[in-house]
Amino acid sequence: MIVYFRAGGQLRARLKPDVDHYTRKVEVDGEKTIAEILKDISVDSAYVALIHVDGKMTDLSFKPSNGQTITLQPPVSGG
Amino acid sequence: MSLSKSEIERYQRQLLVDGWDQERLKSARVLIVGVGGLGGISATYLAAAGVGHLRICDSDSVEQSNLNRQILFTAEDIGKPKAALVARRLSAQNPEIEIEAVSDKLTEANVSGLASGCDLIIDGLDNHSDRLKLNKASFDLNIPFVYGAINEWLGQLSLFNPPQTACLACLMSEELQSPVVTPVFGALPGVIGSLQATLALRYLMTGKNPVSNALLIFRGDTLTFETVTFERRPGCGVCGKTVPLGPRR
Repeated sequence: MIVYFRAGGQLRARLKPDVDHYTRKVEVDGEKTIAEILKDISVDSAYVALIHVDGKMTDLSFKPSNGQTITLQPPVSGG
Repeated sequence: MSLSKSEIERYQRQLLVDGWDQERLKSARVLIVGVGGLGGISATYLAAAGVGHLRICDSDSVEQSNLNRQILFTAEDIGKPKAALVARRLSAQNPEIEIEAVSDKLTEANVSGLASGCDLIIDGLDNHSDRLKLNKASFDLNIPFVYGAINEWLGQLSLFNPPQTACLACLMSEELQSPVVTPVFGALPGVIGSLQATLALRYLMTGKNPVSNALLIFRGDTLTFETVTFERRPGCGVCGKTVPLGPRR
């Protein structure tokens, strides 16, 4: 199946987008958690502060379905 | 708490705003921790709006690299303590309100004392570790907490008020892998600080929380807002175990 990861901030460079400036298309074999997919594409989840899908916060254990877009939020801590 | 003739004159334009309650604002006490990019903006708008008592806490002094975004300060202020400067500037802007300047560094030991007696806490901090201290005090003292943070083109905010909502530690309980120096330009804290002030004023006057269990995310590069919902985390080390004991003012 195909899932899409979207990231901004410094996380964007780690994701290596290929669809547009923010988005990377990833082909996933079978059902996997976000943690497993990130490991497969060599994105260190330590740099992911928040994850949301379809307007709801989720976590690394979430298993996305075909066509879903997962937004990875980098640490946002400045003021 | 009634308004003086001078206050009625000063606030006449906002008194026309639907649902506005100036007397409630006049009786409110708000703690603002950090008066840099975010806190300087929210403090300015709360002072101008007539929030009766502001307690401003910041242990930093002005640096040249602050001046791209911290618009309360000038080049002549470099090296001077921020809290006292902001208190003086905002008192000049609105002499009808009380402003208390605290130049102490936020610690686990002093955070409850700083927040005690306040109706609302506003986050103008620049690091997640101090935000977690503020979040804990907010929960322990049962004082709602207006959270805001920025980085590069991203800004986010919420109003945490457990047990009605989750708390900050439900979302991000641990130290974040933040950059040593946060990339930021001035208009971004302008947007998020203004939204924090709007949220604070609305909450103080009505008790309503339009971002209950929701994080409002602003993307400055695409000029878009997104609302992401979340839930309390049952295992949260701050709000997951007990109900707060402190009285709500």
